[in-house]
Amino acid sequence: MVLWYKNNHTYDKDFRTVSLAFFNRYPNPYASHVLSIDTLSRKISPAGELCTTRLIKKTGRLPQWVKPFLGKISDSWIIEKSEVDIKNKELRTYTRNLDHTRIIQVEEFTTYRYNAQSGETDASSKVKFSSGFNVGVRNRIERWSHTKFDENVKRSRLGMAFVMEKLEQRRQIL
Amino acid sequence: MGNVMSASFAPECTDLKQEYDNCFNQWYSEKFLRGLSMENECSKQWYAYTTCVEAALVKQGIKPALDEARKEAPFENGGESSDAK
Repeated sequence: MVLWYKNNHTYDKDFRTVSLAFFNRYPNPYASHVLSIDTLSRKISPAGELCTTRLIKKTGRLPQWVKPFLGKISDSWIIEKSEVDIKNKELRTYTRNLDHTRIIQVEEFTTYRYNAQSGETDASSKVKFSSGFNVGVRNRIERWSHTKFDENVKRSRLGMAFVMEKLEQRRQIL
Repeated sequence: MGNVMSASFAPECTDLKQEYDNCFNQWYSEKFLRGLSMENECSKQWYAYTTCVEAALVKQGIKPALDEARKEAPFENGGESSDAK
Protein backbone atom coordinates (compact mmCIF):
# COMPACT_ATOMS: atom_id res chain seq x y z
CA MET A 1 0.00 0.00 0.00
CA VAL A 2 1.10 3.54 -0.75
CA LEU A 3 0.00 6.82 0.79
CA TRP A 4 0.93 10.32 -0.33
CA TYR A 5 0.81 13.54 1.65
CA LYS A 6 1.48 17.00 0.34
CA ASN A 7 2.32 20.24 2.04
CA ASN A 8 3.40 23.77 1.09
CA HIS A 9 5.09 26.41 3.14
CA THR A 10 6.65 29.82 2.53
CA TYR A 11 9.78 30.96 4.30
CA ASP A 12 10.17 34.70 4.59
CA LYS A 13 13.85 34.37 3.61
CA ASP A 14 15.98 34.57 0.52
CA PHE A 15 17.42 31.57 -1.27
CA ARG A 16 20.86 31.96 0.28
CA THR A 17 19.51 31.70 3.81
CA VAL A 18 17.09 28.87 3.08
CA SER A 19 19.54 26.70 1.18
CA LEU A 20 22.33 27.31 3.68
CA ALA A 21 19.92 26.42 6.47
CA PHE A 22 19.05 23.20 4.67
CA PHE A 23 22.70 22.12 4.63
CA ASN A 24 23.11 23.11 8.28
CA ARG A 25 19.74 22.08 9.66
CA TYR A 26 21.15 19.59 12.15
CA PRO A 27 21.60 19.89 15.01
CA ASN A 28 18.64 21.98 16.09
CA PRO A 29 16.44 21.82 19.20
CA TYR A 30 13.53 20.34 17.24
CA ALA A 31 15.52 17.38 15.95
CA SER A 32 16.98 15.82 19.07
CA HIS A 33 16.38 12.38 17.54
CA VAL A 34 18.98 13.13 14.85
CA LEU A 35 22.32 11.72 15.97
CA SER A 36 24.56 12.54 13.03
CA ILE A 37 24.78 13.71 9.44
CA ASP A 38 27.62 12.99 7.05
CA THR A 39 28.34 14.06 3.50
CA LEU A 40 29.11 11.05 1.31
CA SER A 41 29.55 12.76 -2.03
CA ARG A 42 29.36 16.21 -3.48
CA LYS A 43 29.91 17.30 -7.03
CA ILE A 44 28.86 19.82 -9.62
CA SER A 45 26.94 18.33 -12.53
CA PRO A 46 27.64 19.26 -16.16
CA ALA A 47 24.52 21.47 -15.94
CA GLY A 48 26.12 23.38 -13.08
CA GLU A 49 24.01 21.96 -10.27
CA LEU A 50 25.52 21.17 -6.91
CA CYS A 51 24.64 17.53 -6.14
CA THR A 52 25.07 16.22 -2.61
CA THR A 53 24.45 12.84 -0.99
CA ARG A 54 24.34 12.67 2.79
CA LEU A 55 23.76 9.99 5.40
CA ILE A 56 21.66 10.73 8.48
CA LYS A 57 21.40 8.61 11.60
CA LYS A 58 18.37 8.85 13.87
CA THR A 59 17.36 7.14 17.07
CA GLY A 60 14.62 4.56 16.61
CA ARG A 61 11.25 6.22 16.59
CA LEU A 62 9.13 3.63 14.92
CA PRO A 63 5.62 3.10 16.23
CA GLN A 64 4.80 0.67 19.01
CA TRP A 65 2.92 -1.72 16.72
CA VAL A 66 6.02 -2.32 14.62
CA LYS A 67 7.92 -3.81 17.54
CA PRO A 68 6.66 -7.38 17.19
CA PHE A 69 8.01 -7.41 13.65
CA LEU A 70 11.36 -5.86 14.42
CA GLY A 71 12.19 -6.98 17.90
CA LYS A 72 14.53 -4.54 19.51
CA ILE A 73 14.55 -1.37 17.48
CA SER A 74 17.82 0.38 17.35
CA ASP A 75 18.79 3.39 15.28
CA SER A 76 17.74 4.02 11.73
CA TRP A 77 19.58 5.42 8.74
CA ILE A 78 18.33 7.91 6.15
CA ILE A 79 19.84 8.80 2.80
CA GLU A 80 19.43 12.38 1.59
CA LYS A 81 20.06 13.60 -1.94
CA SER A 82 19.91 17.22 -3.00
CA GLU A 83 20.47 19.43 -6.04
CA VAL A 84 21.03 23.17 -6.01
CA ASP A 85 20.18 24.95 -9.23
CA ILE A 86 21.48 28.51 -8.82
CA LYS A 87 20.22 29.69 -12.18
CA ASN A 88 16.62 29.13 -11.10
CA LYS A 89 17.29 29.53 -7.40
CA GLU A 90 15.88 26.14 -6.72
CA LEU A 91 16.85 23.41 -4.28
CA ARG A 92 15.46 19.91 -4.73
CA THR A 93 15.78 17.43 -1.89
CA TYR A 94 14.96 13.76 -1.39
CA THR A 95 15.19 11.57 1.68
CA ARG A 96 14.31 7.97 2.41
CA ASN A 97 14.98 5.44 5.14
CA LEU A 98 17.56 2.76 4.39
CA ASP A 99 16.58 0.16 6.93
CA HIS A 100 13.26 -1.31 8.12
CA THR A 101 12.12 -0.79 4.53
CA ARG A 102 10.09 -4.00 4.44
CA ILE A 103 7.92 -2.61 7.22
CA ILE A 104 7.65 0.91 5.99
CA GLN A 105 9.44 3.18 3.58
CA VAL A 106 9.09 6.92 3.91
CA GLU A 107 10.26 9.06 1.00
CA GLU A 108 10.15 12.81 1.06
CA PHE A 109 10.56 15.11 -1.93
CA THR A 110 10.87 18.80 -1.16
CA THR A 111 11.49 21.64 -3.58
CA TYR A 112 12.53 25.07 -2.32
CA ARG A 113 12.02 27.76 -4.93
CA TYR A 114 12.88 31.43 -4.56
CA ASN A 115 10.16 33.84 -5.58
CA ALA A 116 11.84 37.01 -6.85
CA GLN A 117 8.59 39.00 -6.71
CA SER A 118 7.89 38.34 -3.05
CA GLY A 119 11.50 37.89 -1.97
CA GLU A 120 10.42 34.72 -0.19
CA THR A 121 11.18 31.05 -0.68
CA ASP A 122 8.38 28.56 -1.27
CA ALA A 123 8.81 25.01 -0.07
CA SER A 124 6.63 22.27 -1.45
CA SER A 125 6.81 18.78 0.02
CA LYS A 126 5.45 15.43 -0.99
CA VAL A 127 5.82 12.45 1.28
CA LYS A 128 5.24 8.89 0.18
CA PHE A 129 4.63 6.10 2.69
CA SER A 130 4.96 2.60 1.26
CA SER A 131 4.40 -0.55 3.21
CA GLY A 132 4.42 -4.23 2.39
CA PHE A 133 1.72 -4.83 4.97
CA ASN A 134 -1.62 -6.20 3.96
CA VAL A 135 -5.00 -4.53 4.24
CA GLY A 136 -5.47 -5.71 7.82
CA VAL A 137 -3.03 -3.20 9.26
CA ARG A 138 -3.74 -0.51 6.73
CA ASN A 139 -5.77 1.67 9.08
CA ARG A 140 -3.09 1.62 11.70
CA ILE A 141 -0.47 2.61 9.16
CA GLU A 142 -2.66 5.35 7.78
CA ARG A 143 -3.32 6.82 11.19
CA TRP A 144 0.31 6.58 12.18
CA SER A 145 1.72 7.98 8.94
CA HIS A 146 -0.70 10.87 8.92
CA THR A 147 0.13 11.86 12.48
CA LYS A 148 3.80 11.31 11.77
CA PHE A 149 3.64 13.47 8.69
CA ASP A 150 1.98 16.40 10.49
CA GLU A 151 4.40 16.09 13.38
CA ASN A 152 7.46 15.89 11.13
CA VAL A 153 6.42 18.80 8.95
CA LYS A 154 5.92 20.99 11.99
CA ARG A 155 9.18 20.01 13.61
CA SER A 156 11.27 20.34 10.49
CA ARG A 157 9.86 23.82 9.81
CA LEU A 158 10.61 24.91 13.34
CA GLY A 159 14.09 23.46 13.00
CA MET A 160 14.72 25.21 9.68
CA ALA A 161 13.42 28.52 11.08
CA PHE A 162 15.68 28.17 14.11
CA VAL A 163 18.76 27.55 11.95
CA MET A 164 17.85 30.46 9.63
CA GLU A 165 17.65 32.86 12.56
CA LYS A 166 21.01 31.66 13.79
CA LEU A 167 22.57 32.08 10.35
CA GLU A 168 21.21 35.59 10.02
CA GLN A 169 22.42 36.58 13.47
CA ARG A 170 25.88 35.29 12.64
CA ARG A 171 25.82 37.17 9.36
CA GLN A 172 25.01 40.44 11.11
CA ILE A 173 27.88 39.98 13.54
CA LEU A 174 30.42 39.23 10.82
CA MET B 1 18.01 19.71 22.95
CA GLY B 2 19.96 18.00 20.26
CA ASN B 3 23.70 17.79 20.06
CA VAL B 4 25.43 21.12 20.27
CA MET B 5 27.85 20.09 17.58
CA SER B 6 27.02 18.60 14.21
CA ALA B 7 28.40 15.10 14.66
CA SER B 8 29.58 12.40 12.33
CA PHE B 9 28.16 8.90 12.87
CA ALA B 10 31.77 7.92 13.49
CA PRO B 11 33.07 9.93 16.47
CA GLU B 12 36.63 9.80 15.16
CA CYS B 13 35.50 11.71 12.03
CA THR B 14 33.63 14.54 13.76
CA ASP B 15 36.57 16.98 13.89
CA LEU B 16 37.37 16.38 10.21
CA LYS B 17 33.68 16.84 9.38
CA GLN B 18 33.62 20.19 11.17
CA GLU B 19 36.62 21.41 9.21
CA TYR B 20 35.08 20.31 5.96
CA ASP B 21 31.63 21.75 6.77
CA ASN B 22 33.12 25.13 7.70
CA CYS B 23 35.02 25.25 4.44
CA PHE B 24 31.97 24.15 2.47
CA ASN B 25 29.66 26.74 4.06
CA GLN B 26 32.12 29.49 3.25
CA TRP B 27 32.55 28.35 -0.34
CA TYR B 28 28.83 27.74 -0.87
CA SER B 29 27.60 31.07 0.46
CA GLU B 30 30.42 33.34 -0.68
CA LYS B 31 31.35 31.78 -3.99
CA PHE B 32 29.00 29.18 -5.42
CA LEU B 33 25.77 31.09 -4.78
CA ARG B 34 27.31 34.21 -6.28
CA GLY B 35 28.37 32.35 -9.39
CA LEU B 36 32.02 32.98 -8.57
CA SER B 37 33.13 29.37 -8.42
CA MET B 38 31.94 26.29 -10.25
CA GLU B 39 34.56 24.11 -8.71
CA ASN B 40 34.01 22.34 -5.43
CA GLU B 41 36.85 23.70 -3.38
CA CYS B 42 37.82 22.41 0.07
CA SER B 43 39.44 19.34 -1.52
CA LYS B 44 42.04 19.01 1.20
CA GLN B 45 39.43 18.96 3.99
CA TRP B 46 37.19 16.75 1.87
CA TYR B 47 39.84 14.13 1.28
CA ALA B 48 40.67 13.80 4.98
CA TYR B 49 37.00 13.67 5.99
CA THR B 50 35.77 11.27 3.32
CA THR B 51 38.66 8.87 3.91
CA CYS B 52 37.67 8.70 7.56
CA VAL B 53 33.96 8.22 6.78
CA GLU B 54 34.48 5.55 4.12
CA ALA B 55 36.68 3.53 6.48
CA ALA B 56 34.06 3.77 9.24
CA LEU B 57 31.21 2.88 6.87
CA VAL B 58 32.76 -0.48 6.03
CA LYS B 59 32.10 -1.54 9.63
CA GLN B 60 28.41 -0.59 9.49
CA GLY B 61 25.70 -3.09 8.63
CA ILE B 62 23.96 -0.44 6.58
CA LYS B 63 26.63 -0.44 3.83
CA PRO B 64 24.87 -2.76 1.30
CA ALA B 65 21.54 -0.88 1.51
CA LEU B 66 23.39 2.40 1.28
CA ASP B 67 25.36 1.36 -1.80
CA GLU B 68 22.09 0.45 -3.52
CA ALA B 69 20.43 3.73 -2.54
CA ARG B 70 23.37 5.78 -3.75
CA LYS B 71 22.79 4.47 -7.28
CA GLU B 72 19.19 5.67 -7.36
CA ALA B 73 18.23 8.84 -9.22
CA PRO B 74 15.15 10.05 -7.33
CA PHE B 75 14.83 13.41 -9.08
CA GLU B 76 14.47 11.86 -12.52
CA ASN B 77 11.11 10.25 -11.86
CA GLY B 78 10.13 9.78 -8.22
CA GLY B 79 9.10 13.35 -7.49
CA GLU B 80 6.96 13.56 -10.56
CA SER B 81 5.48 10.09 -10.81
CA SER B 82 1.83 9.94 -11.76
CA ASP B 83 0.53 8.85 -8.35
CA ALA B 84 2.24 11.87 -6.81
CA LYS B 85 -0.25 14.26 -8.22
